[in-house]
Amino acid sequence: MSTPWFLVRKHLADHWVRSGLTMAALSLALFLFCFVTSIVTTLDRAISSAAANRLVVQSAVSLFVDLPLDYQPKINAVPGVEDTSKMQWFGGYHQDESQFFAQFAVDHERFFEMYAKDISITEGPNGETGEAARDAALAALAAERRGTIVGSGLMSQFDWQMGQTVPIEAKIFPKPDGSAWDFVIVGVYEPIKTNVDNRTLWFRWDYFLETITGAEGFGDLGTGVFMVNMEPGADAAAVTSSIDALFANGPQKTVTTTEQAFQATFVAMLGSLPEYMQSIGGAIVFAVLFSVVNTMLLAARQRTRSSGILKALGFSNAALARLFFAESLFLSVLGGGAGVAFAKLSEQSMRQTLGPNMPGYGVEWSTIALGIGIAVFVGIVAGLGPAWNASRLRPVDALRSEG
Amino acid sequence: MSHVIQLSGVTRTYRRGGESLCVLDNLDLTVEAGEIVALMGPSGSGKTTILNLIGGLDRADSGTITVAGETISDLPERRLPAWRARHIGFVFQAFNLVPVLTARENVMLPLLLTPLSSKERRKQADFALEIVGLSDRADHRPRQLSGGQEQRVAIARAIASDPDIVLADEPTGDLDRQSATDVMDLLGRLNKELGKTFVVVTHDELVGSRAGRVLQLDKGVLVDSAQPA
Repeated sequence: MSTPWFLVRKHLADHWVRSGLTMAALSLALFLFCFVTSIVTTLDRAISSAAANRLVVQSAVSLFVDLPLDYQPKINAVPGVEDTSKMQWFGGYHQDESQFFAQFAVDHERFFEMYAKDISITEGPNGETGEAARDAALAALAAERRGTIVGSGLMSQFDWQMGQTVPIEAKIFPKPDGSAWDFVIVGVYEPIKTNVDNRTLWFRWDYFLETITGAEGFGDLGTGVFMVNMEPGADAAAVTSSIDALFANGPQKTVTTTEQAFQATFVAMLGSLPEYMQSIGGAIVFAVLFSVVNTMLLAARQRTRSSGILKALGFSNAALARLFFAESLFLSVLGGGAGVAFAKLSEQSMRQTLGPNMPGYGVEWSTIALGIGIAVFVGIVAGLGPAWNASRLRPVDALRSEG
Repeated sequence: MSHVIQLSGVTRTYRRGGESLCVLDNLDLTVEAGEIVALMGPSGSGKTTILNLIGGLDRADSGTITVAGETISDLPERRLPAWRARHIGFVFQAFNLVPVLTARENVMLPLLLTPLSSKERRKQADFALEIVGLSDRADHRPRQLSGGQEQRVAIARAIASDPDIVLADEPTGDLDRQSATDVMDLLGRLNKELGKTFVVVTHDELVGSRAGRVLQLDKGVLVDSAQPA
C-alpha cells in the first residue's frame, strides 16, 4: 500500500496553526544552524584558501608594531622570493563610522600582480571589462596618485560611481591639515578566493607615504606587514627562516609565516567561539527536536480513535507507522528545508551584513546537505513514538477512546 | 446454504484488576451466507465481543473461529488486518468516520488497501455513496452531515471494498426513529440486492424485527435463537 498522502495533508491542515508553528520553529532552528555552521566553515575556508606561495612578514613584537621600510629590498634579495609588497592597514571610514570596511596602502605596481590569483579587476575607469579592465585600471592607478581600486560590494553599498572622488576620514593616520583623505576610483575588483572580501579599498603606498610624511607623530613611518610571494618550487620553511635570520639582530625582529598561518592567527583570536557557536546551533536543533516530538505525540494521541478506525478497516501496524512517519517527515523536511533554503538564499545579504568581519561568507552545499539530513533525522525521530504507540494500539481499545 | 461464520467452543475472559470476567463461555454459533443475524441481549452479555472476535479485532482464549473460509483463530496477528480488509466491513454505533476527511475520502479509506488506482478508488467510492443515496454529500465532512447521513456514509465505507460480511454494532443506537428505519431499510436492501451477510448487535426491537434470525445472549451464553414473526 502506498502512503495515503491526502490523509497526511488533511491531518496537517486540520491543525494548521500547530503545524505552521512547528514548521516555523524548525525553519528558524535550521536557518540558525546553517548560519553558525557557515560562519565556522567560512573561517576554515579563509585559512585553507590562502595562497600557498605567499608569506607574511610582521614584527616579532606585535602586528601593531611597524617594520622599517628598508627591510623590503633585503627581503627581495632572499633566494626564493619572487616579489614583495608593503601592506598598511589604514583604518578609516566613509561618512559613517559604523559602516566599517578595510582600506590598505599597497605597492600598487606590485601588489595587483602578486594578487592576480586572488582578486580580479572587473571594471576599468572607462567601463572596460575583462582583460582590458585590468590593464586600464592599473594604468589609471599609475597615473592618478590618489587612485584606488575598490571592491564591487563597496560600489553598491555606497552607490559610488567610477571616477568619483570619495573622502575617507582617517582615525589612525590623519592628514597634516586635518582634512579627509580623497581617493579617486579607477577600478573595481571581484574576489576570486574567499579570503578576500568584495568590500576593501586598495590605494597607493606612495600617496600614503607622501601625505603622511611630516605629520605629527609619523616621523619614522614603517609598514604593518610585507607580503611576500615566493618563486615556484621555493621551500617556504627555508625562505621563512632566511628572512627572519636577516633581522635577528634588529632593529625590528621579524616573524615570517605562511599566509595560511597568518590568517589562522586571526581565527585563533576568536578562541573557542566557533566551537561554542556550533554547540549553540546543535542545541537549538535539539530543542526543536523535542518540540516536533511533542507535536507528533500530541497529534497521535488526538487521533487514537482515528487510528483504531483505520486498524478496524484493515490498516496494518506498518501502514499506520508509515502514516505517522510520513506526517512527521513532511513537517520536518518542509519546515527544516525552508530554513535551509532561506539560509542559502540570504547568503548574499548576510555577506553584506557581516562585511569584512567574515569575507567570503557562504553556505556550502555540505552545510545544506547536513541541514536537510538533520531535518530528515528530526522527522524520523519524531515519528518513532507515534508509530510505536500506533503499532501497540488494540483497535478495540482505540475505538473506545475519546481521541 | 453454507456457514460463512462458525464459532465453536469460543471462550473469552477479560481480566479487570485481579478478577477474571468470563464474557463468552464455550459459545457455538453459525451464520449462513446472505443472512441478517441480530445479536440481542442485556449490556455485558457479550454481543460486541462476538462481533470483535468475528472481525478479528479481538482474540478468543479458546475455541475455533472460522470466517469466510479462514480459521482466523489460527491466523497470526500480523495477517489479520489484510484478511479483515478483504472480508469484513464495520459499521459502528458512533459512526466512526475520520473527521478531517470528506464523505468520499472516508469511503475511499478501505479502498487504499486494494490494488485499485486512485481514479478507480474515487469511482468506486462514488458508486458506494450512490447506493446509500448520498452522492450529493460526497464533499461534505462528517460534521456537516446529520446522524443518519453519517451512518449511511459509514455503511458506504463498509461495503466499498465489497466484503463478504458486514458487522454492525448498534447501527441505530445514536439515531432517531426515522433515521433508524432508513438505515435498516438500507441494510435490508444491501442484503437482498448485493447478498451481503450482516451480523448486527442491537438493543433495538426494530432492528431485531428486520433480521432473518435473532440470537439472544445472556452472560456469554446463547439462550435463544428465533426467527422474527
